[in-house]
Amino acid sequence: MNAPAGLDLASIAERIQSEVQRAIQRSIKGVEYFASSGPSLGSTPKDILAVRGTMNLYHYRPMADEIYRVPILIVMATTNRGYILDLVPGQSFIEFLLKRGYDVYMLDWTAPKPEEKSLRMEDYVLDFIPDCIRRVQQDSGEKDVSIIGYCFGGVLSLLYASIFNDGPMKNLICFTTPIDFREMKLFSNFSDRRYFDVDRLVDSVGNVPPEMILSSFEMLRPASRAASQVQLWENIWNDEYVKAYRMMDRWGTDTLPLAGEYFRTITKDLMWDNKLYNDTMSVGGRAANIADIKVPILHAVAEHDHIVPYDAAKHLIPKVGSTDKEEIMLKGGHVSLVAGANAIKRLWPKLDSWLGKRST
Amino acid sequence: MADKGNDPAAIWQTMIGEMEKGFNSFANQAMASPEFSKAMNQVGGVTAGAQKQLGELMEKYLLAMNLPSRAQMVGMSERLQSIEGQLNEIKAMLHQVHHNSLATDGSAGAPRPPRTRRPPSEGEQK
Repeated sequence: MNAPAGLDLASIAERIQSEVQRAIQRSIKGVEYFASSGPSLGSTPKDILAVRGTMNLYHYRPMADEIYRVPILIVMATTNRGYILDLVPGQSFIEFLLKRGYDVYMLDWTAPKPEEKSLRMEDYVLDFIPDCIRRVQQDSGEKDVSIIGYCFGGVLSLLYASIFNDGPMKNLICFTTPIDFREMKLFSNFSDRRYFDVDRLVDSVGNVPPEMILSSFEMLRPASRAASQVQLWENIWNDEYVKAYRMMDRWGTDTLPLAGEYFRTITKDLMWDNKLYNDTMSVGGRAANIADIKVPILHAVAEHDHIVPYDAAKHLIPKVGSTDKEEIMLKGGHVSLVAGANAIKRLWPKLDSWLGKRST
Repeated sequence: MADKGNDPAAIWQTMIGEMEKGFNSFANQAMASPEFSKAMNQVGGVTAGAQKQLGELMEKYLLAMNLPSRAQMVGMSERLQSIEGQLNEIKAMLHQVHHNSLATDGSAGAPRPPRTRRPPSEGEQK
């Protein structure tokens, strides 16, 4: 008698055997998972050049025999830690840049302390970034500096570039940077000015707690955390999957608080009045119009970005005043665009080919 | 191998994926409404208000117990932070002095590579 179509008995037996083996592996690896810590992240050798409150400036030690003239300053998003760009050897954007001959600095953030609740947008754009640029110039001996801004680090870089448009920035690269905050529809609804009393919140709590920021990110995809845990259990026999999961999970939940005054400005100027898009933004009384940016600019956006949807990011390139400007859309999400296995194949080589010829 | 249509593991994974997408999409629609924003911010506002009142109450309690209040601890932390900041400044200055002296001496230590790199020609790029 023949087996019904599609049901090959040999392959069913093979499948059962494989599932039994995986079930055994799941039990063993499951115990290991809870008994061990995750991989060590952010371990590319670096020197700390400056620490000033929430601001940290690192210099990564060069890995090439010959480096490009123009150093790079990476400006991290203020809600997250910079090690997303330096996961583990072989999956580190920083390591990739160093091996390709770039001199890399990073402006990373630590949690603002309660007494730093009064930090304002001005402190970030008119003090921390210029201070880091000065230190990079001093350390590298070069006048020109290229900036890479990730997510809200991109917004801060744009504000800086708009105000200091006569230098010393040589090139600007933004990853998933929002311009039109109305198009971040859920965030926009969460902070609806009719119901969200930002003054009351900031006056009550000082710095905005990381739990609140994390839950607002998680609310964008409320089922995804549970689903990812189911998938983790499915794949717990697979060491590579578990390693990648742990790296991303640790980073995703390692959210930073936001300084209260800074959050107040983000809410009022960007979320409510959409000033960056409307060309009415100013920082510390200085107009920050992105049309004033003239340096070469590259904007990398992700096709499936649920945090910064394309509609929120697409106006950046048309609005900047640069003549040398390019937008690239790549497959992936907000994080997988810049980190992880797909970024290695997609974004990183593209960035290298764009930036290399503009770094001499 | 069994084809994907008959593979229970593949069916399960597809089902989880579809459920995730469906729930996310449903929740996103619900969360986009003004009613949701109103309800969410009412709850958030009450929590923040309660937290503020609790903070004030605790401060009075700590004072009565002759224990340092949060404000005093923050004051101490500010002083520590200022000391820490000055130490970091000194460290950064030492780093700079060391860097400059290496540059003047021309002596090794960890010399920086020359800034002479050129981008590979189009054909060489991968």
